[in-house]
Amino acid sequence: MIRVRFHGRGGQGIKTASRILGTAAFLEGYYVQDAPLYGAERRGAPITAFDRISKEPVLERGIITNPDIIAIGDETLLNDAAANVFQGIRKGGIFFVNTHYEASHILERYCLPECKVIVHDVTDITINTVGKASVSATLAACICRITGTAGKEALINAIKKELKSIELKDETIDKNIEAAILCYDKMSEVPIETYRFNPVSGPKIIAVKHYLPPKGVAVIYAKGNTKKRKTGNWRLFKPCINYERCVRCGICFVSCPDGCISLDTDNYPVIEYANCKGCLICYEECSAKAIETKREVRTW
Amino acid sequence: MVREMLTGNASAAWGARLADVDYVPSFPITPQTEIIENISSWIRDREMNAKFVTMDSEHSMITAAGTAAATGARVFTATSSQGLLYGMEMLYTISGWRVPLVLVNVARAISSPITLEPDHNDILAARDSGWIQIHVENCQEALDAVLMGYKISEDERVFLPVIVNLDGFYLSFTREPVEIPDQKDVKKFLPPFNRENGYFRASKPVSRGAALLGGTGYSFFKYQMHLSACNAISVYKGVAKEFKAIFGREYDTVERYEMDDAEYVIVMSNSFATKGKAAVHIMREKGHKVGLLKLRLIRPFPADDIINELLNRKGVAIIDQNIAPGSGGILYNEVCGCLYHSKERPNILLSVIGGLGGKDISQAEFEHIIDTIKKYHNKKKVPIKPILLFTEEDMKVTNNIIDIAGI
Repeated sequence: MIRVRFHGRGGQGIKTASRILGTAAFLEGYYVQDAPLYGAERRGAPITAFDRISKEPVLERGIITNPDIIAIGDETLLNDAAANVFQGIRKGGIFFVNTHYEASHILERYCLPECKVIVHDVTDITINTVGKASVSATLAACICRITGTAGKEALINAIKKELKSIELKDETIDKNIEAAILCYDKMSEVPIETYRFNPVSGPKIIAVKHYLPPKGVAVIYAKGNTKKRKTGNWRLFKPCINYERCVRCGICFVSCPDGCISLDTDNYPVIEYANCKGCLICYEECSAKAIETKREVRTW
Repeated sequence: MVREMLTGNASAAWGARLADVDYVPSFPITPQTEIIENISSWIRDREMNAKFVTMDSEHSMITAAGTAAATGARVFTATSSQGLLYGMEMLYTISGWRVPLVLVNVARAISSPITLEPDHNDILAARDSGWIQIHVENCQEALDAVLMGYKISEDERVFLPVIVNLDGFYLSFTREPVEIPDQKDVKKFLPPFNRENGYFRASKPVSRGAALLGGTGYSFFKYQMHLSACNAISVYKGVAKEFKAIFGREYDTVERYEMDDAEYVIVMSNSFATKGKAAVHIMREKGHKVGLLKLRLIRPFPADDIINELLNRKGVAIIDQNIAPGSGGILYNEVCGCLYHSKERPNILLSVIGGLGGKDISQAEFEHIIDTIKKYHNKKKVPIKPILLFTEEDMKVTNNIIDIAGI
């Protein structure tokens, strides 16, 4: 069984790439499973998609943590720890990146283990041929060729089927096929050592203890909902307190929806700018007009 | 017959389309929405001839489904998780109306904390509602169970609504090769619903859900529901036989995997059973006599089939992908209950809780379960408390979550 994990950004065609690969392999007679995984559905957000391709029925489900091939549709994700693109990368595995850089650059820059790094500027070919940067067909074509799971005919039929299902025009589909074949011909098949379960690395089951509140209860106390993300950099305007006009009424203190205003020992309000999102409710609510706004140029 | 790559959601929608349903009341909720999106676009494109109505909530949606079924229409609807709970009152009401219909629940763990991935606390909250429950493992089964569901539900010996349960994400958004049967074969298997007994007609009103005070009539009719639900076991088996004759696929109330000579058995349900089968396969390669019993029909509970499969085994683990706080695993208690009177019952019945909120169950965890059964094999005292599948690594992840939450 070959396990492929795609990474890209919402709107880039990553889910469709996984489906084109899935359908192409299905048309070649393989057992296939494909699935996308996304949290909030918005353009630009990191998205993952999976393909399992096998000659035997697939007895696995869910996300792929032990991929044989990792296919990166957007190289900027390599710098995004939250996208977790290196999860399960291993010696001998294939790491495909859509980039204009050389493979050696990727290998050194990200200190990858001895895996087979393959690079191709898929976006460039797609923009030149299709006119748009949706890499669904082109990225799928690269992986079809590298894995050797589908020939050109199955690939073309899969592109037609999947792009039709998302209601693209025939003309656009033809251009995608043209770009995909260019990519397909640039790649060559690479032998794949597929993952086998290794019992030695099994995790240890523990007895979960009881914790009193607050630890045992799913409640968030951190401002900005996490200690690690400072929401102050969302600000367009910064509220600033003019202490000469402040009458210490405390309205701003109780109005702040993010708890970013505290009172000092003399009951004067103090704004915590690390997490203040600049909603300006304090500015609106202040009856003494003691809060001014300043255009934020750069938070930090 | 054609074979296509379909998601679990699309498969369920195909089930409704092939069943030639008349009415689809709907309300969106992740991860179910794709089902009603598929159906509404087919109706738009005139590939399906049914009335599609968007409702204001799941409570209204289930009410509309029941009332339409009471007119003799063939009805399909779908929901998930919080939506099923929101419509819960009407689940009980409709089963008491004794109207046939099929609802697909796309399992998603219940808030709070809120999440998107599956476990079975949503569907098992409906276990006492009088609905027949069929739980499926893959996309093909989702399509097939919807077709079987109508045939069981519309059988006079049953006349109870049916829920087909499929797991969110693991099936709902996952595509697999699925056989879409020919409409003419489906027509043979599932003819149009015969609306003879007690349906609304012009100038011939009937009253369903009448008031019955004093308890006597209430007891009688509730017990009738129980007996009808029990009938659903033999009706299910008959329907499964007909299904196999036409479509070639076999679905008993339980599925046996490597059970013939199994000394140790894992009992589980739904899409994670695929992971269980893979684990059994690997353990077999290592020489362990392990099997898997998958529960498909959850309501009615096929006690006799379960007893038959579990007698004379050395040890059995029941994996509950649900948790009843203060009690443990829901299905564990039911499996224990049906084995009590059998002298040849297994020495060990281990309660395991795993896959909550869609958490993966790894090969190592399956092996841990079998090791634990063996550990207790010759001991007199076996813990009845459930084991939670939770690793050192999981605790590290959790501690990080707790840390960034600012506790």
